[in-house]
Amino acid sequence: MKFNSDEIASVLQAEIEQFDSKIDVREVGTVLEVGDGIARVYGLSGVMAGEMVEFPNGATGLAFNLEENSVGVIILGDYLTIEEGDEVKALGRLLSVPAGDAVIGRVLDPLGNPLDGKGPVQSETTRPVEIIATGVAERQPVAEPMQTGIKAIDSMTPIGRGQRELIIGDRKTGKTSIAIDAILNQKGQDVKCFYVAIGQKDSAVAGVVDVLERYGAMEYTTVIAAGASAPAPLQYVAPYAGTAMAEHFMFNGGHALIVYDDLSKQATAYRQMSLLMRRPPGREAYPGDVFYCHSRLLERSSKLNDALGGGSLTSLPIIETLEGEVSAYIPTNVISITDGQIYVQPDLFFAGVRPAMNAGISVSRVGGAAQTKAMKKVSGGLRLQLAAFRALEAFAQLGTDLDPATQAELDRGYRMVELLKQPQYQPLSVNEQVISLYAGTKGFLDDVDVKAVQAWEKDFLQFITDKHGSLLEKMNDENALSDEIVEGIESAIQEFKSARGDG
Amino acid sequence: MPDDPTHPTVLDIGAEQVGKTYARALLGATQAEQSTDRVIEQLSDICDNALATNPRLRAAFESPRIDANEKARVIDRVFGDVDPTLLRFMKVMAGRGRLGYLSAVRDAAVKLSDDFAGRVVAEIRTAVSLTDALRGELSSQLAAQLGREVRLREVVDTSLIGGMVIRVGDTVFDSSIASRLDKIGQAAASGFAKQLIQSSDRFSRDD
Repeated sequence: MKFNSDEIASVLQAEIEQFDSKIDVREVGTVLEVGDGIARVYGLSGVMAGEMVEFPNGATGLAFNLEENSVGVIILGDYLTIEEGDEVKALGRLLSVPAGDAVIGRVLDPLGNPLDGKGPVQSETTRPVEIIATGVAERQPVAEPMQTGIKAIDSMTPIGRGQRELIIGDRKTGKTSIAIDAILNQKGQDVKCFYVAIGQKDSAVAGVVDVLERYGAMEYTTVIAAGASAPAPLQYVAPYAGTAMAEHFMFNGGHALIVYDDLSKQATAYRQMSLLMRRPPGREAYPGDVFYCHSRLLERSSKLNDALGGGSLTSLPIIETLEGEVSAYIPTNVISITDGQIYVQPDLFFAGVRPAMNAGISVSRVGGAAQTKAMKKVSGGLRLQLAAFRALEAFAQLGTDLDPATQAELDRGYRMVELLKQPQYQPLSVNEQVISLYAGTKGFLDDVDVKAVQAWEKDFLQFITDKHGSLLEKMNDENALSDEIVEGIESAIQEFKSARGDG
Repeated sequence: MPDDPTHPTVLDIGAEQVGKTYARALLGATQAEQSTDRVIEQLSDICDNALATNPRLRAAFESPRIDANEKARVIDRVFGDVDPTLLRFMKVMAGRGRLGYLSAVRDAAVKLSDDFAGRVVAEIRTAVSLTDALRGELSSQLAAQLGREVRLREVVDTSLIGGMVIRVGDTVFDSSIASRLDKIGQAAASGFAKQLIQSSDRFSRDD
């Protein structure tokens, strides 16, 4: 293939002919010092907080600190080629990112520049990165479920559309996997997904993108990546940029899910910037407004009222704790902002309970409002049952002889724990979850060997889809556990068990 | 003593603050005697000639190891013919150990007196030096636009190619050929990229 130089020349000629040369009026300042992703600028006397500025090398910056004699600017881009004495130009507008359908399926940096080699984002719509969240009157209570496809979560800590549910735990406990499963489960649900990677290894981000592509989830997902090698200002704005892209769908009546992976690294980036800007350090050397940094971000996730289209933005922020320390500064802050948390623990993870959710201290403050009637019915006593089981289990370890009733309760508990385990990247539909949990809670698994529970469940769900597809359809239509459906499930279980020959 | 490296853009906030405070005092004193312009001129002369060309004198002024009385004696001997108010002012600065900030005081005093008089400084950057006619027209046009008296500071910068860049305060009016060429370049590049994505086969030919 050769390039047609005549065509190129004609396009350039058209551009030059259309060029409108006006006198360029701009507000400028001079770089006093630059380094570590920030610059101090003299001049720019009319610049406003949060306004975009431009450096001669094309990098944009944000006016971050307005001082008496200088302006502290965070540089969103390459700061190594900026020099002392460079002219800085105020652009008179706020930082904004491309939004709309053009960003779906892309891997972008926090400014909307492509990282996936698929060319620039062709989008006419842009949205400001920082907006003030909608107020009380523009919202409505969360009532619609946002299925993660994970049995333990959908049954015990249900998440609603418009909710903020924190995923918190130590390193390597499966936090990201929970979020990825939730994204995979949105296939065909008309929910746009956004995965914001902050301060992570680029290899980890590449791994996530690969999984999303393999399971066909990139068709409705955008990945916004500010890796560990990105300057702190980019890591700081990444979640706001991702939220701006997601909000486009919320304000147009659609539904979106956003995962912030993870906010502890964003807080660290913000701390770095603040300390370099000489803002006074507070607890753990974080600046005083690190709470506001997270609260104004998470407040933007909401369920809009019907007059505004009823769209929603659900967020799953992730926080990494050190040695299970949830009372550190950032974890307590984010716990207090969100509508509940999923707490994942390393000891459960290594004991093979995956997802390693600790059901006792994980909560969802929206609760049953975000569950279907059928799910509410089967999962009603599950949390308490599991809590009672944990207490009994500890007691049984003392080696005392147990009466048959207690032993039966223990056996049921072992099977429920087994049933709540779920392999990675295999989200289940809500009806499949209801059927499995029904079998477990009603004791149909009591005569199945504990080690065989997972295999039993897998075969059983396959059996249901193969032989009783009408039952699943009926459950879809009714959305509740009518007597007829209960009968259908029970007879299907009996049929399956007799076919297997175990009861 | 080695010459200090010059960093024209380095901003010493402390010095600027001290300079402002002393400049206000100096202007207050001279306004009563109506000698402001003369004093500022003499102060500039001291800063630009005596201090700038004489690093040892500057070092002596800055040094805290030299006694204030000693400094006052030097001031009397070297600058004996300046305005008595300025002389007293410099001795006060010496007594307070602030003599090193003399040029900061000068900068602040020039700015303050311009502010009082309603004058602004406009920096004119051109590729070739201004003609007298152009200079006069510029002053009157700018004064009419800004509603204030304008003092021109001219800089010749051949990299502009042509046109003119006017800077008043932090606002820049740029009609230079260089910046216009730059803009055309950007517009052409982005327009071309857009066309290329919309219809990439338009630019290729198979042969």
